[in-house]
Amino acid sequence: MLKGKGQRSFEEVWPDMRIIVLKLLKQETVSQVEWQDLFYGVHLVCLWDEKGAAKIYDCLRNDVVEFIAHAQLKVQSQRGEHALLTTYIIEWRKFFTQSSYLPLPFRQLEHVFQSKTSSSSSGCSASTSASSSSTSAASTSAAAAAAGTSSATASSSSSGSKKNPTEDSIVRKLMLDSWNEHIFKDIKDRLQESAMKIVHAERNGDAYDAQLVIGVRESYVNLCSNPEDKLQIYRENFEAAYLKATTAFYRLKATEQQQANGVLAFMKYADAKLREEEARAKRYLEPSSYAVLAQTCVKVLVGDHMNTIIAECAPLIKEYETDRLNLMFRLLDRVPNGVDPMLRDLENHIVSAGLADMLSASEIITQDSEKYVERLLELFKKFSALVKNAFNDDPRFLTARDKAFKTVVNDTSVFKLELPTGIQNRGVKYTAPESKCPELLANYCDMLLRRTPLSKRLTSEQIDARLRDVLLVLKYVNNKDVFMRYHKVHLTRRLILGTSADSEKEEDIVEWLREVGMPADYVNRLARMFQDIKVSEDLNTQFRNSTGRHDAINIKILNAGAWARCSERVSVSLPLELEDYIPDVEEFYKKKHSGRKLQWYHHMSNGTITFVNNFGRYDLDVTTFQMAVLFAWNQRQHDKISYENLRLATELPDPELRRTLWSLVAFPKLKKQILLMEPNCPSPKDFTENTLFYVNQEFAVVKNGKSQRRGKLNLIGRLQLSTERSIQEDNQSIVQLRILRVQEAIIKIMKMRKRMNNATLQAELIDILKNMFLPSKKMIKEQLEWLIEHKYMRRDDDDINTFIYMA
Amino acid sequence: MDESENSMDKQIDDNDGTKPEKMFTLKKWNAVAMWSWDVECDICAICRVQVMDACLRCQAENKRDVMGRQDCVVVWGECNHSFHHCCMSLWVKQNNRCPLCQQEWSIQRMGK
Repeated sequence: MLKGKGQRSFEEVWPDMRIIVLKLLKQETVSQVEWQDLFYGVHLVCLWDEKGAAKIYDCLRNDVVEFIAHAQLKVQSQRGEHALLTTYIIEWRKFFTQSSYLPLPFRQLEHVFQSKTSSSSSGCSASTSASSSSTSAASTSAAAAAAGTSSATASSSSSGSKKNPTEDSIVRKLMLDSWNEHIFKDIKDRLQESAMKIVHAERNGDAYDAQLVIGVRESYVNLCSNPEDKLQIYRENFEAAYLKATTAFYRLKATEQQQANGVLAFMKYADAKLREEEARAKRYLEPSSYAVLAQTCVKVLVGDHMNTIIAECAPLIKEYETDRLNLMFRLLDRVPNGVDPMLRDLENHIVSAGLADMLSASEIITQDSEKYVERLLELFKKFSALVKNAFNDDPRFLTARDKAFKTVVNDTSVFKLELPTGIQNRGVKYTAPESKCPELLANYCDMLLRRTPLSKRLTSEQIDARLRDVLLVLKYVNNKDVFMRYHKVHLTRRLILGTSADSEKEEDIVEWLREVGMPADYVNRLARMFQDIKVSEDLNTQFRNSTGRHDAINIKILNAGAWARCSERVSVSLPLELEDYIPDVEEFYKKKHSGRKLQWYHHMSNGTITFVNNFGRYDLDVTTFQMAVLFAWNQRQHDKISYENLRLATELPDPELRRTLWSLVAFPKLKKQILLMEPNCPSPKDFTENTLFYVNQEFAVVKNGKSQRRGKLNLIGRLQLSTERSIQEDNQSIVQLRILRVQEAIIKIMKMRKRMNNATLQAELIDILKNMFLPSKKMIKEQLEWLIEHKYMRRDDDDINTFIYMA
Repeated sequence: MDESENSMDKQIDDNDGTKPEKMFTLKKWNAVAMWSWDVECDICAICRVQVMDACLRCQAENKRDVMGRQDCVVVWGECNHSFHHCCMSLWVKQNNRCPLCQQEWSIQRMGK
């Protein structure tokens, strides 16, 4: 087993070892004995020959270099690209396989080199050698076992070597470095070029051999001996070449495609190619390169053509080409900020299309809140579908859609609500127009909740769905306080007249309003009205039970805090029939409660009267004001009564009397009116003191063109809850309330922050108030000034834009 | 509804011929009134909320009586000043004087 024990010096041992080394390099069969001898030889030399390790290393290098030179010759001699790659790969694989075996016997060298660098003192050399001998003995047996299994199948190499310490061994490094230096540097350009030609051929759909490219790539990856960055050589050469080739290929192709087939076809092409390249990268590149390659492809296929692609965006949106838009979205989304122009296009389109639609239908929708809301919802649904189908409901597009909706809803070009901007010196100086949308939304809600032809036509589910739709639109409305105000007025009317279609739904919507973030005090006020009306119903039952003679009267006694606004009461002189009831009710109420005062709201009360004339007998639903006017004729049935005398009889204020009379002489859609006038006036403004009114004895309810002898008629129309003066006050009170809210919110913020600059203050302020209204810059500024003036806060002395809380 | 109509008809029939029937007769009247506390100042000086609304404390706790009504009534002192009863009953624990006029506080009457 062992050669003579005398052979200990390098010169003696090496010739035998060398034979085995060369055999290994050439992948010739090496017997177990030879393999073990090699270990032993290295061990001996290192043990006995001080410079042995260095000598072995040098000689080994010479042999490796020589072997490589030989291989290089073989590879270089190949002319064809295909042959070159094949040969190179074969040679490389052989060599690489050996690079995991050959280092094993030379492990000892490592220890020697290490100890030379780490411990310079000679004293510890004995212990070093002792320890090294024991490790080498252990590794000998392990390596022998490894050699036994692997010599048969030389190609299945990598699995064992991965975890193996040979990876870092200096001999392996020597082998790989030598290969790199002697063969690779010379031909890497040719190699890459050849590999890229194959990829190019594949891209063009020609025949190709993918294995060659993969082989080359593997050699690049394995070749690197830098343990810090194993992919260095691969990245610097192969990957770079691949990227370059890809860019060059598509730069040419993309332009070609685009010119030949137009932008739309090009987008399809780009999309297909991006996917194709992704798949190709998985075959030819290391995972670390996927992202870089994707970036490169995107840049050359999409990024470089951004402008032409985006130019198509607006027309496509106009045509609702969802598939193409979806494609464009997917392409541009790969480019950083690529979709931004699309967002802009979408927003612009929704705004302009939405406004154009509204404007074209402005005749109808300004009059008819149902049409308006339905039209608006139709628009929303259309655009939401677009965003869903074309842009997969991407959050960025949803935001753009919402922004556009907001603009449409709050636009003032179709119709506006005039609100005074400030209350100064009691006079309204100028007005800031606001969208009428919240008012129309509230009207639409009213139509759904009241007993109307619309609400009768729809099923309960349909009404629910529509109410939900209203809330959806409401989300985009800036001035929700206006909606709430109108909603409350409508609700008041429904509750007082008892015209709610479904009282459960009424309460549902209050909860829904709460859910969508309406301010709690608004919502609570509505909820209080429901409770109050129930309390009042109980009271009415008690009242009717308490006396026998009151079956013609129902009372509603409501909490003024929940319902009323102070300036609204209108005085009227009631007909005796009604006046008689008043003391009874007041007496009854006083017994029930104490410390309360009652105020009659006759403009809210109403009733039914029977009207008998020459033709027939009719039940009329009327307001108390209308009653007061009509009862004036009971004493003088056939007289003509002048405006002035009616005024004296009823004591109604002028505007209310005009309005009431007008509703009796010119009730909309009525073929025959209750009252007639003389002379004829085109509008209530034209009544004079001497205009005469008289009861129409020929009045009849007309149905299907025939006059009926009996019938019912509702003359209440829209119960006037507010007088003309109070409408103006209403709008002013909206503004007044906004001013208070702004002040309140500023103080709230400043109290918390103590010190704040203008911009952040404004941002927070808008955040707090956005569920009620959007405060204008001007209003904020005015209120800031007011608060500063009143010493709630002050400006910083050094920075005029910083506020400091004082109180 | 039908019943009342019939009775009305009968009445009118009875009257027929005797004297000319009134052109307009009342059938039903739905009268509306609003109640409020009979106070001189409609803001409670203790919590600064309108006396018609529940006091701050009750609003925050959302107190309701059995009927679902807000149970925050008004109280009048001998001095004729009025406050939320809830507010005043807390106030007198510390200081048995009217917060507005400093007279000894004694309840004149309570809202119901």
